[in-house]
Amino acid sequence: MRILLIEDDNLIGDGIKTGLEKSGFKVDWFDNGTDGEEALFQAPYAAVILDLGLPETDGLTILKHWRDKAKTEPVLILTARGDVDSRILGLNKGADDYLAKPFSLKEVIARLNALIRRQSGYAAAELSFKDIRFNPATKQVSKDGVLVELAPRETALLELLLLNKNRVLSKAVIEEKLYSWDDDVQSNAVEVHVHHLRKKLGKDVVKTINKIGYVMEE
Amino acid sequence: MKKFSLKTRLMIVFTVVFAVVGILAGALSWKETKESVDEFFDTYQMALARSLASADWRHADSEIQAQTNKVLKDIRHADDDDDAIGFAVFDLQGRRIFDDNEEGKHFAFNTRTGAFFNEKNDDDWWRIIRVLSADGRFIIAVGQEVEYRNDVSWDMMEEFMTPWIGGLLVLLILMLLVIIREFRPLRRLVGDIKQRRPEDLSPLAADGLPSEITPLVNAVNGLLFRIESTFQRERRFVADAAHELRTPLTALQVQLEVLEMSDDDKQAREKAVQNLSQGLQRAVHLVEQLLALSRLDVSLAADEQEKNALNWADIAKTVCSEYETAAMAKNIRIFCDVTEQGPVASGSPALIATLIRNLVENAVKYSPEGAEIRLKTEQNLFEIINSGVHLNEEHLSKFGQRFYRPSGQNEKGSGIGLSIVKLIADYYHCSLQFKNTEGGFCVILSK
Repeated sequence: MRILLIEDDNLIGDGIKTGLEKSGFKVDWFDNGTDGEEALFQAPYAAVILDLGLPETDGLTILKHWRDKAKTEPVLILTARGDVDSRILGLNKGADDYLAKPFSLKEVIARLNALIRRQSGYAAAELSFKDIRFNPATKQVSKDGVLVELAPRETALLELLLLNKNRVLSKAVIEEKLYSWDDDVQSNAVEVHVHHLRKKLGKDVVKTINKIGYVMEE
Repeated sequence: MKKFSLKTRLMIVFTVVFAVVGILAGALSWKETKESVDEFFDTYQMALARSLASADWRHADSEIQAQTNKVLKDIRHADDDDDAIGFAVFDLQGRRIFDDNEEGKHFAFNTRTGAFFNEKNDDDWWRIIRVLSADGRFIIAVGQEVEYRNDVSWDMMEEFMTPWIGGLLVLLILMLLVIIREFRPLRRLVGDIKQRRPEDLSPLAADGLPSEITPLVNAVNGLLFRIESTFQRERRFVADAAHELRTPLTALQVQLEVLEMSDDDKQAREKAVQNLSQGLQRAVHLVEQLLALSRLDVSLAADEQEKNALNWADIAKTVCSEYETAAMAKNIRIFCDVTEQGPVASGSPALIATLIRNLVENAVKYSPEGAEIRLKTEQNLFEIINSGVHLNEEHLSKFGQRFYRPSGQNEKGSGIGLSIVKLIADYYHCSLQFKNTEGGFCVILSK
């Protein structure tokens, strides 16, 4: 899952980026509003973490610009202003969730997972496909009730396909969604991961749609 | 002993004073009335005695006595008013020659003539005068019952005193009512204070209060105002401090969680520890500055700074020398063209040093490599310019606001330094100006 993080504080930004990456997310981090605002138009993000107190452009202004331009990505706001009025203002401006400082990294991850899940139309905490169950919080995958070990990239790919059930994702889209700007992507990386998923979870789990991409179809 | 309220005391004192005055006035007027009545009756008795004395008593005998008795009886029968006067006539040997056949029968013989005596006759006290008859052969005694005189005196006094006593009572009641009324605003004030919630520090209403109490109420209001501003300052400080601590605490929390997640990743763990230490330093620095600000707040509010003649040249030179090393590390040069006279003539050297120190520290911290920092004084003006720094207008207008600092700074800082500068400038009634000049960013302190 590729996440856009806009946070001006070095220590917080670095901590969230590192923490999210350890949890299997891919994070693009910007420490100013101008670049951060533009970034959302440049790549497909599963969700955005937006700090309100930013240099140059204020977080709420950025959020308003995005919503005005029909960007619907779920946005989690981080702010030192934790009072009810600020929260209501943020939510009214189009935020999907709100976290007041000081917050725990675990809560950021949990809320992010919930946001992404809801965006994909899932209400349950687990994503499922046939006899495969996936928990976005723990990243645990099971088939027929038996735990299956997956590499981080494979997990991310599975999650992406599960979140877009019945929709065909092109190889390019998958690459964009799974890798951040910092990553070096091998040209056949996606094919390799799909191959591994089929090996571990069953041949018919991921369908290849010729020349277009991949899909998990029920 | 129980302490009575001023109102109760006034009421008791007034009541007692009125009672004492009433009793004294009554006693005095009793004495006066009695003396007047005595004088009047004495004159009357004396006149009667004289007229009796001028009569010829040589032929008085029992027949005349009997006739007179009859006449007297008729008179007495016709006139109910008994003035309780009696008389008797004696010859010089003490024989009773004639009397009024009533009270006079009991009068004793006595040769003390020409003066009044109170004597006991038949269980009653009588006031009796005796005179020698015109021919010198008889003694005539005329007497009147003392109690009758007292009755007359009492009646007179009663009639005379009743309106006075009544008036006195009305006056007393009116005065008590006035006291109660005059104390009502005070009672209202007490009620107002009693009912107050502890957090209500609005001033007490002074209207309707007597001018003696107004200064007290004003003094209390002054105190309330000072307490209120102290409270506000403390509340604002706590709110500000809590707000300012959120970011460094979040950084610590997040980095700690990263450390927890990095069990198997040595490189990530080392970086997280380094970040934690950096975050901790930032938090400690912030707390120190918050405390400095809080202490400054308190001592400025208490107005307990000393008033010494200030030598700006000395203070500025000392402060500049403290930052020489830090400046040299960034190849920054500091020029100190400060004269002895600055915008503030007398005050606390320590406070002015704090002010200059914060400005120099910021200048060194935010100036680029190889910049120049210049401190100088002109008439009623102190300025510090650092070259190579240019701030946008939005930031300039917010400078000096409590805790304001342009976001996205890499230098650790909390904006408290400038708050401290502003606080000291305000204390010395100086204005603080931030502007961009050709020579660089400039801070001007002027009277």
